[in-house]
Amino acid sequence: MTRTGQHKMLVKVIQWTTVCCFVTLTVLPLLYAIARLESVTGINSVVAVQNFFTTQSSLHALKFTLLEATISTIATVIIGLPIAWCLGRYNWKNIKFLRAILAVPFVTPSIVVAMGFLMLIDVGGPLTAMGIDLRLETGIVGELANVTNWENPGHFIALIAAHVWFNISLIMRFVEPTLSTMDRTWEEQMRFLPAGQNRLSRIRNLWLPIIGPAILCAATLCFIFSFTSFALVRWLTPNQDTLETLMANSGGSAGIYGYRIDTSEVVLSTSIVQLIILSLAIICATSIQRRHSTIHAIIAESDAKQISARPNNLAKAIISLGVCFAILPLMLVTIASFRIRNTKTGEFTYSTEAWSEAWSGDYSTTAIPDALSNSLIYCLITVAFALPIGWIISSCISRLEQEQKATTAKIVEFATMIPLALSAVMIGLGILLGLLKWSPGLFGWAIIPAIPHIIITTPFVIRIILPALRSIDLSYHEQAVMLGMNPINAWWHGKAAFLRAPLVVAGALTMAFSLGEFGASWILVRSGSWDTLSVLIDQLMSQPKFNPLIQPMAMAAATVLMLLTFILFFIAERFRDNGEGSGF
Amino acid sequence: MRLNAILCLTVMVCASMSGCLGALEKENESLECSTFSAGHTDDGKLRILTYDILALSDSMVEEFTNRTGYEIEFIKEDDAGGILDQMMLTKQAQQADLMIGLDNTYLQTAIDNCLLRETVYTQSDNYQNISEQATAPYSGPLAIPFDQGPVCLNYDENFVDGENVSEPTSLWNLTEETWRGKTAFPSPVTSSPGRSFMVSTIDYFENDDDESTNAFDWWQAMASNDAIITSGWTEAYETHYTGGYGEYTTGYIGDAHLTVSYCQSPGVEAYYSGNYTHSTSITLPKSTIQQVEYTGIINGAANIPGAELFIEYLLSPEINAQMPENNLMYPVLDGYGLPETDGYRYHSDIPQENANVEITRINEEMTNWLDKWQSATE
Repeated sequence: MTRTGQHKMLVKVIQWTTVCCFVTLTVLPLLYAIARLESVTGINSVVAVQNFFTTQSSLHALKFTLLEATISTIATVIIGLPIAWCLGRYNWKNIKFLRAILAVPFVTPSIVVAMGFLMLIDVGGPLTAMGIDLRLETGIVGELANVTNWENPGHFIALIAAHVWFNISLIMRFVEPTLSTMDRTWEEQMRFLPAGQNRLSRIRNLWLPIIGPAILCAATLCFIFSFTSFALVRWLTPNQDTLETLMANSGGSAGIYGYRIDTSEVVLSTSIVQLIILSLAIICATSIQRRHSTIHAIIAESDAKQISARPNNLAKAIISLGVCFAILPLMLVTIASFRIRNTKTGEFTYSTEAWSEAWSGDYSTTAIPDALSNSLIYCLITVAFALPIGWIISSCISRLEQEQKATTAKIVEFATMIPLALSAVMIGLGILLGLLKWSPGLFGWAIIPAIPHIIITTPFVIRIILPALRSIDLSYHEQAVMLGMNPINAWWHGKAAFLRAPLVVAGALTMAFSLGEFGASWILVRSGSWDTLSVLIDQLMSQPKFNPLIQPMAMAAATVLMLLTFILFFIAERFRDNGEGSGF
Repeated sequence: MRLNAILCLTVMVCASMSGCLGALEKENESLECSTFSAGHTDDGKLRILTYDILALSDSMVEEFTNRTGYEIEFIKEDDAGGILDQMMLTKQAQQADLMIGLDNTYLQTAIDNCLLRETVYTQSDNYQNISEQATAPYSGPLAIPFDQGPVCLNYDENFVDGENVSEPTSLWNLTEETWRGKTAFPSPVTSSPGRSFMVSTIDYFENDDDESTNAFDWWQAMASNDAIITSGWTEAYETHYTGGYGEYTTGYIGDAHLTVSYCQSPGVEAYYSGNYTHSTSITLPKSTIQQVEYTGIINGAANIPGAELFIEYLLSPEINAQMPENNLMYPVLDGYGLPETDGYRYHSDIPQENANVEITRINEEMTNWLDKWQSATE
């Protein structure tokens, strides 16, 4: 075998080993969780699923999950589309800044989002001042409840609004690049054709075929994220359970022999049902995303002109409203961290007392610097693993595509999307049970909570790096080889140099997602003493608040987490190419 | 189609593999009490498994470290149920040396599963200082009571004003139209006070005049009367209850005028609000239950001397007397009670007659009770 052949073989071995290890790391905890739960309950997964459909509370949770995810998706498309349209069709000053502000919600930790929306809908908050009381459900919301006999419509609307806020950037990320890079003459030409005489026919014959797949793709991901939403449901709809909260509430006592078998049954059946539904959604998303990539590539290659139209007043109003909607809940979190209730008079004053308390901490509450350093350690570990793993897997998929092995590439791509179909709670539980089985001594190892972070964030790294790898012109690498560079130098100058921006974006986003991860940490960190910022916020919010400083302390921790996430995200945005259609 | 086939294949492989793994799991579970081992080494630190509230102030912990040289690390759970779950789940590799917080509705399960080991504290003279009420549920060497308090129903005096709505004289009153949708109960499945209150209803309805109904008939009637069931005490008391501090917190809903808490909760409200509260307790005979919280050395502890010293420290008068301020519960030592400051003692109601259910019976019947409770409230 020649030296080049040996090198190629080595690359293949590394790539396939990484793919196999990652898939094993993803599937094994799930297998352990299922195996243990089957063993504890004495029933197999099929019987568990049958039982699921005969249990009222589980069925109710399934219906509610499907309903909130569907309505959240529809509402996100309706609200996100005009914003994406305005951003993509007009020439904006500071477009990167606007994009970053509007996309910040997606990387904001869900526990912070929950706190922000609680402040928004709280008594005395901006919405109640406008006469919309979504929390106590008085006024028009109360009327709505009475007229429709709808139980807690305010809580449901608040949850949908929070999901829209969280997912709106998905619509922007998918639709806006397609719109901004499309040649405007297409629309002008369409007006002269019989199929484009009126607005409706242009929507049907021009816009839907072009942006339809992008909308569908974003909508599918919105559905997945709303379906698996945990912190928002936990805090905004306290009277309702989704599949994810149902599992989390039972997760603590699940998997123990001879003890609380009912909770093991709930977790087993719910996780299988969730896995099936999310797998179908992922298959759907993968297939639609491929169509979207094809259309986006065609448009991007069509020598599109830069958008030159200045935004009109309507566009300015839409974007302004979007920006306000994006930043308002976050500003309220910060304000709430300074707002202290006087227990004697019931009045509120503003001070930095809660910040001082939260910063110093005590034996019942982890200090912010400690929780922050835990969070940072986990996110650095996550990046250190997720980035190379994601890169190698992306390279494997890209190589398979170049070698015309499309089916194998699809299989690998699908396998690496599996974490998106798994509940974070289930991953956390699987790791916990798996470790106890394999090596109980490792249970106290502080690095453990980083494992679910790596599993959860790697698919995002792949989503970002893969499109960039596909767009690299291979002739650069070939020329580098012809110039006599050694394989490492040729790879560096012919491939890696073009991946600097996507790698920075992927790294920053991975860190942001890791910082905000809550579901798996909630399961694993409860089994150790490694509180992260997101777990600290939840712990503070769950404490009895006779002491009026507890809640502002939680908000102070949320503000720190939010600021850290923003910094990382703005770094990512600086490196993101204009019109990039990776979706994240 | 191919991807669908792959998915089916994956599920099939997972299912078959999980069966093999399941068989392996069972073999591993046949462990004796004596084989429990520590999941950590004795590095001089004392690891305490407890729940997430303020049982011990910073100064108390630092004082212990100064006196004994043992550093302390806390592993925190949500509540007593979380402590038991953690000990059960990690019994092959216990992460802590000492547990603080299991109550009398969970203790027997921990004992039966060999999760605790004997302490020498019962041989100490100081053990005799613990009140009879605190040692009544359990007085063996596996767990030592450190605080206590009666769990009971709290109601909002602004709603129960004595004119339009009068104080319930029977739990059945709560199933009337006046209370429709206005009560909030933490679930006994996921909440420790919720579990204690459910136990008290068992005793209440076993000892009332009506032999044709039992506790679960009442729970069913409460569910039909739109009682709000929450996962924990915090959600019930803070989010739903109108009589407590919840009205000042973010996320407050305020749709319940009655909830489960402690008889001293109105006293705590007053203590933190300048001797003002509009919350009070229902102390009907048998509708309240004494919750006793325990500390004990975990079977699998690495630092047993440190754990023994901490038990002694926790039960010393200087520390135990501070339970009302730090853990919002009564001390267990004879002669110590609630402080009079800002109406703490004045607003804390004394139960007429607590429910009395043996902890062994609680352990034996709890699964059955929880099943029945779930069926009744579903």
